[in-house]
Amino acid sequence: MNDLYLIYKNMTRKPLRLFLTCFAIFIAFLIYGAVTTLKSAMDSGIDLAADNRLMVVNRINFTVPLPIAYFRKVAAMDGVKNVTHANWFGGYYQDPKKQLVVMAVDPESYLRVYPEVVVDPQQKQAWLRDRQGMLVGEKLAKLYGWKIGDKIPVSSNIFSHKDGGHTWDFVIDGIFTGNTEQYDTGYMVFHYKYFQETQTFGGDNIGWLVLTTEDPSLNEQVAKKIDETFANSAFETDTSTEKAFSKAFIEQVGNIGLIIFGVVFMAFFTILVVVGNTMALAVRERTGEIAVLKTLGFSSPRIFKMVLGESLLIALIGGLAGLGAAHLLIEGAKAAMAQFLPNLVMGGDIVAQAVGFMLLLGLVTGLLPAFNALRLNIVTAFNRGGA
Amino acid sequence: MGSLISQIATVTVMNIRSLPRRLWMSLAMVLASAVVVAILLAFLAMAKGFETTMSSAGSDRVAMLMREGAAAELNSVVTRDQVNLVEDLPGIASDKDGPVVSPELYVIVDGIKKSTGTEANIPLRGLDSRGMALRGNVQLTRGRSFTPGTNELIVGEGVLREFDGFDVGSEVRFGKNTWRVVGAFSTGGNVFESELWADAKVIQSHYNRGSSFQTIRVQLQKPGDLQPLQQGIDADPRLNLDVQTEKAYFTSQGKQLQYMAIFGRVISFIMALGALAGALNTMYTSVADRAREIATLRALGFSNFSAFCGTIAEALVLAIAGGLLGSAAAFLFFDGLNASTLGGSFTQVVFRFEMSPELFVQGAMLALVIGFVSGFFPAWRAARLPVIVAFRQTT
Repeated sequence: MNDLYLIYKNMTRKPLRLFLTCFAIFIAFLIYGAVTTLKSAMDSGIDLAADNRLMVVNRINFTVPLPIAYFRKVAAMDGVKNVTHANWFGGYYQDPKKQLVVMAVDPESYLRVYPEVVVDPQQKQAWLRDRQGMLVGEKLAKLYGWKIGDKIPVSSNIFSHKDGGHTWDFVIDGIFTGNTEQYDTGYMVFHYKYFQETQTFGGDNIGWLVLTTEDPSLNEQVAKKIDETFANSAFETDTSTEKAFSKAFIEQVGNIGLIIFGVVFMAFFTILVVVGNTMALAVRERTGEIAVLKTLGFSSPRIFKMVLGESLLIALIGGLAGLGAAHLLIEGAKAAMAQFLPNLVMGGDIVAQAVGFMLLLGLVTGLLPAFNALRLNIVTAFNRGGA
Repeated sequence: MGSLISQIATVTVMNIRSLPRRLWMSLAMVLASAVVVAILLAFLAMAKGFETTMSSAGSDRVAMLMREGAAAELNSVVTRDQVNLVEDLPGIASDKDGPVVSPELYVIVDGIKKSTGTEANIPLRGLDSRGMALRGNVQLTRGRSFTPGTNELIVGEGVLREFDGFDVGSEVRFGKNTWRVVGAFSTGGNVFESELWADAKVIQSHYNRGSSFQTIRVQLQKPGDLQPLQQGIDADPRLNLDVQTEKAYFTSQGKQLQYMAIFGRVISFIMALGALAGALNTMYTSVADRAREIATLRALGFSNFSAFCGTIAEALVLAIAGGLLGSAAAFLFFDGLNASTLGGSFTQVVFRFEMSPELFVQGAMLALVIGFVSGFFPAWRAARLPVIVAFRQTT
């Protein structure tokens, strides 16, 4: 009779209890896995930001435009490697409730500033030549079933077309992918010139500038230079790193995110406490038996290992099953959530953390009973047990 | 019949008085039920608070006109000429100064959020005294209103709560313009309190808007009756405007955090399953613990049913205790909690978590369900276990 068999027998003596305990752990880790993945997807914009990329927006707010002249002025500054500009189009395809991320950009410089955007050279040339052309992210193209050469009407909830209406016709010239799996390709870009010629108002304004510096160490210097150059003009600027900009934007969604995660983690730990309590009690019930094992000549360290092994095993069975279920859940929800949360991937760090919590649960619940078993005096145990 | 009730009462009291003996298991069950209830309430209170903030802003008496296709105030543009044309349309209420029409501007400025210390979007609304009169419930809580034609603004109470640097008397800088905060206003807790208000003409000139506006609000002759106004707009091709009541506009915007309520329900349902497993464990242990006791009672002539009820009652008491604890905790931590998030117009909406009585009812129901289910199966076992077997079993 080896130890593993004994552990197995001990665990399954009350199958119902074992099932309920594992189930509670399962639920706890299901929620943990799903919610942490959700959170990391929300934060992923920050992690993916390039070190040397800066955003230049109007000091008043990033929704207030800047004059196009700034594009040339910034391009001429020292330390600036590439610069491009973009306008938010407020686009949607057929259904106004389903917003699309559509931007009017300066095509060539845009591709230089965002090396993450990978396009087939032939498609790239076609797009650069075609003023009505649209470059669509792979994810978006898949979502709507668009192919190269398709003519699609995209509407704006901000701008009007000078021919009337709010709809522009575009031709899909290229479909881009990201250089990593995490890069969000759920957006599309088109020529600023086409936008400028066909809109009824908005003039020669751009939404914001994006630039790369020669080196990340120059970031601060370049940002300061830009803001100083335009200080006291009608359009003052606010330059920040892409990272800081995304972070600020995510924080706009606000403390409600923080509150939710706080609540969920509290719940996660409470369930663990509740379950841990049950597991610890289950071992305490067996004081008499442990005394018998000791009488039979089982060494104390061996019993210690067996008791600890049992709780670790329970924690891992329930926890890993829960994590697996969370993974399935996320894979299932991926398609539906792709528009809001592009980077819904359960990363290795999340799994590692979860396994860490499982081990902790097993240790904390098993350690005290195991110690008690280790130090158990056979005579007192038999007296107390009353068996 | 009377004896059955007294039997049940006796068993129930006995069970409850023996709870301290199973202190840890009982506490675990209370805790499990408390957590589930607290989570459900937290999510519902958030969604409820946001919805109240949005929907109470909209009035049936006011119609909102935006450029067609503009889903939010921020995206709309309306020219001065269009405003003049709208003033002559039928269906608009008049007072001594003529038709009650308020052309408004809506621009976004940055403020520093107290909670994170980072910049966040605040709407700066340009309007005039007519616009303020149109919103029936505006109250100046501090200072005075802005003087038309000057760089003065008044600040909503919500902005004061969530953002730094807008105290009455202070100066704020947006771009190269400096504004003086001369007063604070309340609109009864709705979304307008998340805004800054200033003179529309001043904003037009500072933000290069020429003579254009963004939205037009008009007071309707008959609340909710858009018919005459709509007909007037349809008849004039120069008016490419969408018209809706302000109430309809804000109700649709208030639906935005509905997903929170759904998310909350899903999470608390899954959590409830986990808690149920914990609670069932507790009750099975409790029944096993008292197997002899129950057998003794039944041997003495107590009915199976009374043993059954006694166990259910025990589970219910524990779950309700947990429910109360959870509700109290949720109320303490979340009721009135200030929060802010991005609203439909890309700006911060400041709102408060709202724990309304019907939410407590939902929490109580959830606790009762947990109590009942976790009591039922163990109680069934306790009542069914043959007396002989129970006596033979050693604990």
